[in-house]
Amino acid sequence: MSADNDQQAREQLIDLAAQFYDQFELGEIPHMSVPTRTKSNIEYDEEKGVWVYGDRTSTRSANSVRGARKLLKAVYTIEFLADQLEEGRSSTLRELYYLSESWDNENAQFSDQDESNGLIEDLEIVSGVTREDFHMRPEESGATIMGPLHLREQTRRGEREIHCQKDVGEGGYQIPNNPDTIEFLDNDADFILAVETGGMRDRLVENGFDEEYNALIVHLKGQPARATRRITKRLHDELDLPVTVFTDGDPWSYRIYGSVAYGSIKSAHLSEYLATPEAQFVGIQPADIVEYDLPTDPLSDSDRNALESELEDPRFQTDYWEEQIELQLDIDKKAEQQALASRGLDFVTDTYLPERLDAMDVL
Amino acid sequence: MTSFQSTLGDEPGIAEELAENQRAISIAEFFEKNKHMLGFDSGARGLVTAVKEAVDNALDAAEEAGILPDIYVEIQEEGDYYRLVVEDNGPGITKESLPKVFGKLLYGSRFHAREQSRGQQGIGISAAVLYSQLTSGKPAKITSRTQEADEAQYFELIVDTDENEPEISVDETTSWDRPHGTRIELEMEANMRARSQLHDYIKHTAVVNPHARLELREPKAHFKFERATDQLPEETEEIRPHPHGVELGTVMKMLSATDSHSISGFLQEEFTRVGKKTADSVIDAFRDRYYGREMSWTPPTVSEDADVAAAVESATANKGAEATTAFAETIAEAVADTDRIAHHELLEVVASSAESVAEEYGTTFGDTVQENAVEAAWRTIAGLEVEEGDEPDADEEPRTVTDLYELADEATSTRKDDEVVHAFATRLAGKFEDVEDSRHRLTHGRLREYVDRAADLTEEYDDVAFGDTARENVTDAVWDVMVTVPDDPPLVRELADDRDAASDLVDAMRATDIMAPPTRCLSPISADLIEAGLKKEFEADFYAAATRDAEVHGGDPFIVEAGIAYGGDLEAEGSVDVLRFANRVPLVYQRGACATTDVVKSIGWRNYGLDQPGGSGLPNGSAVIMVHVASTNVPFTSESKDAVANVPEIEDEIELAIREAARELKSYLNKRRSMQKRRRKQSVLGEILPEMARKVAEVTGNDEPNIDDALARIMNNVLVERSVEANGDGQAVEIVVENHSSTNESLELTDIVTAEPTHLSDGATVVEMDGEWFVKWETDVGSGDEAVLEYEVADDASFDLDVKGVETEKLTVTDQ
Repeated sequence: MSADNDQQAREQLIDLAAQFYDQFELGEIPHMSVPTRTKSNIEYDEEKGVWVYGDRTSTRSANSVRGARKLLKAVYTIEFLADQLEEGRSSTLRELYYLSESWDNENAQFSDQDESNGLIEDLEIVSGVTREDFHMRPEESGATIMGPLHLREQTRRGEREIHCQKDVGEGGYQIPNNPDTIEFLDNDADFILAVETGGMRDRLVENGFDEEYNALIVHLKGQPARATRRITKRLHDELDLPVTVFTDGDPWSYRIYGSVAYGSIKSAHLSEYLATPEAQFVGIQPADIVEYDLPTDPLSDSDRNALESELEDPRFQTDYWEEQIELQLDIDKKAEQQALASRGLDFVTDTYLPERLDAMDVL
Repeated sequence: MTSFQSTLGDEPGIAEELAENQRAISIAEFFEKNKHMLGFDSGARGLVTAVKEAVDNALDAAEEAGILPDIYVEIQEEGDYYRLVVEDNGPGITKESLPKVFGKLLYGSRFHAREQSRGQQGIGISAAVLYSQLTSGKPAKITSRTQEADEAQYFELIVDTDENEPEISVDETTSWDRPHGTRIELEMEANMRARSQLHDYIKHTAVVNPHARLELREPKAHFKFERATDQLPEETEEIRPHPHGVELGTVMKMLSATDSHSISGFLQEEFTRVGKKTADSVIDAFRDRYYGREMSWTPPTVSEDADVAAAVESATANKGAEATTAFAETIAEAVADTDRIAHHELLEVVASSAESVAEEYGTTFGDTVQENAVEAAWRTIAGLEVEEGDEPDADEEPRTVTDLYELADEATSTRKDDEVVHAFATRLAGKFEDVEDSRHRLTHGRLREYVDRAADLTEEYDDVAFGDTARENVTDAVWDVMVTVPDDPPLVRELADDRDAASDLVDAMRATDIMAPPTRCLSPISADLIEAGLKKEFEADFYAAATRDAEVHGGDPFIVEAGIAYGGDLEAEGSVDVLRFANRVPLVYQRGACATTDVVKSIGWRNYGLDQPGGSGLPNGSAVIMVHVASTNVPFTSESKDAVANVPEIEDEIELAIREAARELKSYLNKRRSMQKRRRKQSVLGEILPEMARKVAEVTGNDEPNIDDALARIMNNVLVERSVEANGDGQAVEIVVENHSSTNESLELTDIVTAEPTHLSDGATVVEMDGEWFVKWETDVGSGDEAVLEYEVADDASFDLDVKGVETEKLTVTDQ
C-alpha cells in the first residue's frame, strides 16, 4: 500500500498506453496480446506446483470494430486507474462498470460487468500488476474465518487486533479484500477446514468443531473470492497449517476445491499467489455417497457434462480424481454436505469428519 | 333415324337446302366470334392491341428497308370514340399493296416464312382496321409516301365484311412533312382504362428496340423515347423449313408444289440441312415405314438337315448336271458366308451366282430358273414347307424357331424360363410361317402385332407374364436384324396424293437425326444492346444481360436472351417487374400464363441475393428482369400472342439465360454488400481510432500520433500519402502509395501543381495546361507493396491530387 508501490503500478499502466502510442506512430495496427484464458491453455508449473497459463495467446487488435472498441475501453480504463492511483483512492469492479457510463465516448462504455472484469484481468496480466495494486476490489464476498487465530488487521481506521474466536460473534471474522494487510500474531490451530456452504459452517460452529479440534473454519461461500484463497494460502505458508476442503459432492464443488488447490483458470496468472497446492479434499466424495449411503439426487445432464469436462481438465488429471469422477458417473448420483444430517445432526462432527480427517492423516 | 332416312328420297330438295345454309360466314362474324383470341375483347384492350399491331408493323417496315425507325403514336379523344394515329418513317406503301396489307385478314407474307419477325400470322393490323370499322363505322385513313415520291398519297380504306375484300374509297394526293413513311389513322370505340399496359408496351418496346425512336402523345400526356444506338438489328435471312418442324399438311402441300420428281430431290431442295446423305437416311427410314423390312434368317449350317444346295439343285431343271451342281453350290456357299440373309439379299446372291456359273459353263440361267432357285433356297432358309404333303419331321423343330429363340432369349430378362421363351419363339415362328408375303416383309407395327399375339398366347397357355417391356425388347431385337428393302421409293407425285405414304415420310423425317437449323434467320438483340436498352429506360445501379446460343424446338431455331436491372430508382416495394418479349414485341397481357413468368418464379432468387418470400415465386425488390425469346415460330398460348407456351426446351433456355444474368447480379450484390460493410467498419473505426489516439496521447503526455497508416492497414486499404520537404529554394514532393489490400491494385494518379515540377521520378509525365502542370503517373502496386512518385517544385506551389482506379471505399488519400 506504499506510495512507491502505487507509483510503480501507475508507471506500468502508462507504459501500456505508450505501447499503443508507439504502434500508432509506426503505422502498426494497435494490439495487445494476452494468454488465452481457457482450460486448454493452462499447464502445470513443476517448480511452483501450481497451474499457470501456457504459451497460447489471444490478440486484442484494432483491425476489427470489436477489437478497436476493446482497446479504446482499455485506454480509458488505464487513464481511470492511473488517476485513481495518483489520488490514492480505490473502487470496486462494479463501480468501474457504472463509472464507464460517465465517460464522454460511448464507444468506451462497458456493455456489462463481465466485460469490465475481463478487461481488468487483461490489464493485470499484461502489466504484471495485481488488481489489488490497481486499488480495484470486488464486492465484499462476506467470507469468514472462525477458529483459534489471533491477528492484526490494518484498517482504514487504524490497526485492530482480533482473535477469531474470542473477539468475534457467531458470524466469525470477516476476511478483508486485501488480506495482505493482515499480520498473524498467534494461533492454536492444527489445521484449516475450508467449508463450501454456510449451513455446514454454522453446523460446525454450533457443534463447537473449531474448539474441539483446533480447526480454523474458513467459509468459502461458494466459489471462493481471491481474498479467501489468498488468506488460505498465507495461513498455510506462514503458519504451516494443513488445508482441507469440505464441499458438496457434485462436479461444481470439485471446481471449488480445484481453485483453492490449483488456481482458477481465470486467475492462473496469479496462481502462485493464490493457490495452495497442498490443500486436500475431504468430501463429500462419491465414495462417501456409497459408503455412508447418503440421500442423493440423480445427476442432471449439465452435471454429467461438467464431470466429463473435468476428466479433460488438466488440473483434475490425477488417479484420485479420475477414480472419483468415474465412480460418480457410474452411480449417477450426487449429494450435498447437509445430506449427512440424515444420520443425525452430530454425525458430521462426531463421525464423518473425524473419520475422514483421520484417514487423511490430518488428525 | 329410320323415319328421317326414309323421307330423304322423297324430298330431293333437302340436300340443296342444307347446302345453301352452309355458306361461308362473313369476316365480320368471324371477327366477332374470335375477337378475344385476337386481342380485341374489350375497348380498353382493343386500343392497346391496335397500337401494338400498328407499331409492330411500322417497326418491321422500317427495318426491312434498312431505315432506323422513328415512330409516332398519338391517341386523341373524339367524342365517345378514340382516334389512333401511328406514323412511321418506313419506305411507304404503294396503292396496289395497300389493301392487302391493311385490309385483308390472313394475308401477310409472313405466315410461311421461316424468319424471325414481329408479326407472324398476318392477322394483326388488318384486325385493327376491321375493329375500327366495326365499332366506329369509319374507314381507315392511310397516308403514305414512298421514297423519292414528290407527293404523299391519301387513302380511305373500307373492308367489305361479306366478301373479306378491302376497297379503296378515297385516293388523292396530299402533302405530308415526312420524306417517306406511312401514317394510319383509325377511329374506334375504346377507352383508356388500360393506360398502364399501353405505357408498358411503348416503354418496353423502346427497351428491346434501342435503335428505334418512339413518341407517344396521349390526350393528357406525352412521352419520348430516344435511340440508344444507331445500329440496326442484323438482317435476318429466310430459311427453308427444317424436316423436324413440319406438319403433314404442310408436307403434302409442298409435295404437290415442288418441281422435284424423286423424294431425295424433294428433300434436298425444299428443306434446310438436308444433303444427299441425310436424304438417304430419311428415305431408308421411309422405306422401313412404307414397305416394311424383310426378316433375315441365319443361313443353315452343315449339321442341319436343311440343305440349300440340294434344294436348288432339285429346283433347277434342264441345265446340265455339272452346271446345275455348280450353280447350286455357288448359291449355297454364298448363303453360308452371310451372318443372316433376307429375301432380297438372296435374290442378289442367286443373280450373281447365275452370272458367274453361266460364264464358266456357258449355260444361261434365265429369270424363271433364278426364280425357282430363289424360291427353293428361301423355303429352305426360312424353314417353309417344301411341298404340300411333305411335312417336316415332327421331332425336328423348324429352324426359324431356333433363330427366334436366340433373339428372344437375348432380349428378355434372364429370369424368364427357357421353356417359356421357347414356347414363345415357336409361336412367333408360326406367325412368320403364316405371313402372306413369303418374303417375310413386315412393318414395325405388324411385327409388334405378331409379337403381341405370340406373347398373348404364351401368357394364356403357359400361364406366365409376358409384359410390355419384354414385348418391346423382343420386337426391337427382331426389328434390328430385319433389313431395309432396296425397293425404290415412290415418286413425289405419287406421294402427293397418298396421305398415308406422306405420313410415313413425315415420320421418317422426324425419326432421322438431322443437324439443327441455321440461326441466321434469327436476330437476337445482343447482350450489349439489352443493357443499353435497359439503361435507357430504367434508372438503376446495375445492369446485366446474357444472350444464349441458338437452340431448336420442333424444327424452329430460337434464341433466348435475358437482362436484369437492379437498384437505383427502381421501385423497391413489392415484387420485381418481369418484362417479357417475343421477337422484340413486348407481351403485356396474360403474365400469369406465360412460360417466362413460370421460369422466373421457379428460380431460387435468394441464392442470387434477391428477397423471395417463401423461397419461390416472384422475387421482391428493386429489380427488373427481362426475357426475350426470338424464334422463327414463337409458340404462343393463343392467337393474341400474349404468352409464350410452356415448351420445355424454351423454358430450359429461359432459365439458363436468366441464371447467367443473375450470376452477375449476385456478384455485384456481394461486392456491394462487402463495400457497405467496409464503409460501416470504416466509419466506426474512423470514430474509435482517433479517440483512442487522443486518449493515448493524453495518458502518455505526448502529441497525438498519426493514425492514417494504421487505419489504412486495418481497412486493407490503399493509402496514398503526400509528404513535402524543404529542399534548397524549392520543395521535394513525395507521394507514397501503400497497398495494404489483399489484391494487386492499378492506380492512376493526377497531381495538379501550380508551378512547373522538375526531377520527376520514372514513369511520371507532366503536361502543362493554362498555367497548371498535370503530373500523371500510372502504377501497379502489388499486395503489401508500395510505390513512390517524386518530384521537385518551387516553394510556393500548391497541389491537388486525384486518384483513380481504386474504389473509394478502399482508398485513403492524405494530401497535405
